Amino acid sequence: MKFSVQSKAIAMLFSVGLIAGCSSTGDPMEDADFGSDVSAVDQQGGSTVYSDGTRDGVSSAQLSDEERMAAQQQSQQMALRDVTVFYFDFDTAEISAESRDVLVAHARYLSANPSMNARLEGHADDRGTSEYNLALGERRANAVQRFLIVNGASRGQLETISYGEEKPAVQGMSDSARSQNRRVELIFR
Amino acid sequence: MAFSVGLHLLILVIAISGWSWSSSNYEPPPRSISARLISPEPRPTPDVTEVDQPDEAEQRLVEDRKLLEQQRETEQQRKAEEQKKKQEADARVQQQAEQKREEQAQEKARAQAEKKTQAAEAAKLKADAEAKEQARQKTEQQAQRQLQEAKRKAEEQKQLEEQRKEAEAERQKREKEAQEQAEQKRVEAERKRQEAERRLREQNLKALAQQATDAEADQARKSQQAAAARAREAQMLTDAEKYQALIRDSLSRAWYPPSSATEETTARLQISLLPTGELVNVTLVRGSGNTAFDNSALSAVRSLNRYPVPKDRDTFDSYFRQFTIEFNPSRLR
Amino acid sequence: MTQALNMTSLTTPTTLKALSKAAVRAGMALFFLLATSLPLRAELLIRITEGVDSALPIAVVPFAESGAIPPGDTLADIVQSDLTMSSEFRTLPAEKMLSLPSQRSEVHFRDWRLLGQRYVLVGQLTRQGDRLEARYELFDVNREERILGESAGAPLGNLRTLAHYVSDRVYEAITGERGAFSTQLAYITRENVGDKVRYRLQVSDIDGKRSRVRLESAEPILSPAWSRDGSRLAYVSFETGKPAIYVHELASGKRTKIADFRGLNSAPAWSPDGKSLLMTLSKDGNADIYRMDLASRDLTKLTDHWAIETEATYSAGGDEIFFTSDRSGGPQIYRQKGKGEPRRMTFGSRYNARPRPDHKGEFVYYVHQRSSGFHIARTNLKSGEETVLTRTESDESPSVSPNGRMLIYATRQGGASVLTVISADGGAAYSLPATEGDVREPAWGPLPR
Repeated sequence: MKFSVQSKAIAMLFSVGLIAGCSSTGDPMEDADFGSDVSAVDQQGGSTVYSDGTRDGVSSAQLSDEERMAAQQQSQQMALRDVTVFYFDFDTAEISAESRDVLVAHARYLSANPSMNARLEGHADDRGTSEYNLALGERRANAVQRFLIVNGASRGQLETISYGEEKPAVQGMSDSARSQNRRVELIFR
Repeated sequence: MAFSVGLHLLILVIAISGWSWSSSNYEPPPRSISARLISPEPRPTPDVTEVDQPDEAEQRLVEDRKLLEQQRETEQQRKAEEQKKKQEADARVQQQAEQKREEQAQEKARAQAEKKTQAAEAAKLKADAEAKEQARQKTEQQAQRQLQEAKRKAEEQKQLEEQRKEAEAERQKREKEAQEQAEQKRVEAERKRQEAERRLREQNLKALAQQATDAEADQARKSQQAAAARAREAQMLTDAEKYQALIRDSLSRAWYPPSSATEETTARLQISLLPTGELVNVTLVRGSGNTAFDNSALSAVRSLNRYPVPKDRDTFDSYFRQFTIEFNPSRLR
Repeated sequence: MTQALNMTSLTTPTTLKALSKAAVRAGMALFFLLATSLPLRAELLIRITEGVDSALPIAVVPFAESGAIPPGDTLADIVQSDLTMSSEFRTLPAEKMLSLPSQRSEVHFRDWRLLGQRYVLVGQLTRQGDRLEARYELFDVNREERILGESAGAPLGNLRTLAHYVSDRVYEAITGERGAFSTQLAYITRENVGDKVRYRLQVSDIDGKRSRVRLESAEPILSPAWSRDGSRLAYVSFETGKPAIYVHELASGKRTKIADFRGLNSAPAWSPDGKSLLMTLSKDGNADIYRMDLASRDLTKLTDHWAIETEATYSAGGDEIFFTSDRSGGPQIYRQKGKGEPRRMTFGSRYNARPRPDHKGEFVYYVHQRSSGFHIARTNLKSGEETVLTRTESDESPSVSPNGRMLIYATRQGGASVLTVISADGGAAYSLPATEGDVREPAWGPLPR
């Protein structure tokens, strides 16, 4: 759990300030659904503090505007590609709006690096039946795979598997835990 | 008529034989009516405990006897009715006979009078003939004897005439007397007859009136009794229903239907109770084919320490001394 | 004893009366035939259509023991636990018993009646060398009758086998239905050992005792399914890094990987004759139901739809399959004959999945979502009536006992998954003893042959 929060914090660090409305890259539902006393701090204070810091760190005047733009774009793409987990609503395989930009970045990267292979692992939360969830995890993985192919990746680079509800990212039965378990993980190899 | 009498006799004989026979064996008081024997129910299963059969037989005897009694009552009533009808018929017949007799008497009187008139005419004709003969002889004698003869003839004629008149008078007088006598007798007889008739009619009327009154009273009494019986019956029925519901509730709370029971599983048990509500006997009248189910029903029936029964003895006897319980989990699950 | 004497002394004189009674009846019958015109009153008939819907009180008296009986749970303990688990019985704790009879002459029915008991089980357990011998009698307290009297034996180490057998006999004598206490369960446990997860396929008695691990893996195992003769299990294992279907012979431990196609290989279900398996494959890109002949490995595709089709199972008669499909937008249960048109059979909520029929073909049990969570529900196949059976909020994997009277399912308790047994109509719950980690995917084995 700590790990996932950290990784998201880093992701935010890079992204916030470069893209409008970027502070919502992290799963807002997830944050809101943590223990009530913690969530307020994370959502408001956390993101604000980190984004201020980011702006300070990047606003170096030594680079030219073009260089700065390229660097910005590159770091933006890299930052996007740091996100490798895509979340879903209950019993759906619809790719969320937040995930789309990230997946486009991954697709471009795969397209630019044909030797790279990736594995898509589909998961479901613990609700519902395990076999249906296995199929649901597969459907999610397939949805992501299709999206990547449409955006430039080739089928041969991608492998899918579903674990259904067998390998939760987070233990527990809270809405927060469940929203983090309904996911597809993109793993480069 | 003869057939029905014969039938009644037969019934009576059987009834009487039933009475004497049964009373020699058992002596319970008459009880309620039941019709179960008409369409004989399935015989109790062989595992029936004999202990309680006498009671059942007693019950039946009791019921049968009550029936007999009712039968006899009905018969008496019918007899009385027939008697009444017969009396009416008799009276009618008598009246007809009387009328006939009267007609006959009138006829006879008329015939007698006719005969008398004929006799009188015959006598008159004869007398005329004699008189003519005498006249002819006189004429001859006149011719022979002339003077003397005429004189004597006149004398004789006169004498004869007198004699004839006398005889005639005598005859007429006798005739009249006879006639008067006959008439008197006839009138007397007629009077007597009418008197008798009147008396009889009066008697009949009285009897009829009495009968009507009796019938009326009887009817009133009967309808009163019927109303009372109906009221009582209704009361008993109300009581019976109440206790029926109580028994149903008690058994529902004591019955654990086995899981193998389906909506179709049905067992019938016959229960005999004491007026105290204690169970005398229970027999499986119709099994369900599922031993566990039958056992669950028997067990439930046996589990009640005391059955809720009415205090009223008649109601108890009519409904709860012996009755049937059907177990069928139609509303279960 | 005195009761019995009374009975016999009363019965003797009645035989004499039997003849005369018959004659009287004949006369009466004639009389009644002549008097049919009389009004007749029908005899009172009371219909009982409802009974007690709670557990039946039974006293399982500790058996008298002779010889050196191994320590541990006693035979009566195990029988009590079995009967309680069925939720059709309520047992009397031994400390409340007024006496501890072990044979008929010691049973005082009045005492048991006072204690509110309907049945009493008494018996003796004797050790003879390396064998155990149980003699047992079951009495109906109200009728004061013995409804079962038997003896049974087992090897010394198999007290539990013997006890479950006694439970089966008692259950059948009272309910008229075969007991399922001698059957077995298969289930999956998931346990965190250090930073690793251990998945285990286990087989145990239905009370969770005598469990044995049949397969252990660092990768998920799921969907164990019994062949109808109880000799084999089919299941899904991820041991190669991806799901594949295996058939496992329990006696020999021999395993065969029978389905390892691209994509999903899941939800195996045996045909009644044990010659083929239904399974979910997505080798053509989408989860559909196939039948595989085990001898030839030939596949027949039974559904062909862009939606998810999975969790297939044969009907009791084997002439039909039930499965889950989300073609309507959410998972719902369908039934289908052969390759015919599927007919949807659940409409009560937006999520109904993983059908499991009972052995009689009366009901189909499944997972059913309501606003209150995921419950187990069943639908009456004849009437179509749906009943929700459980109230806990994360209930999964229903499996019906082979006598159709009990239902086991997985639910959440204190954050972990546990197995719970209820009566098939939703009666009181009985949780199987907790173990470390999660216990999931229970599958109720067939009746022993």
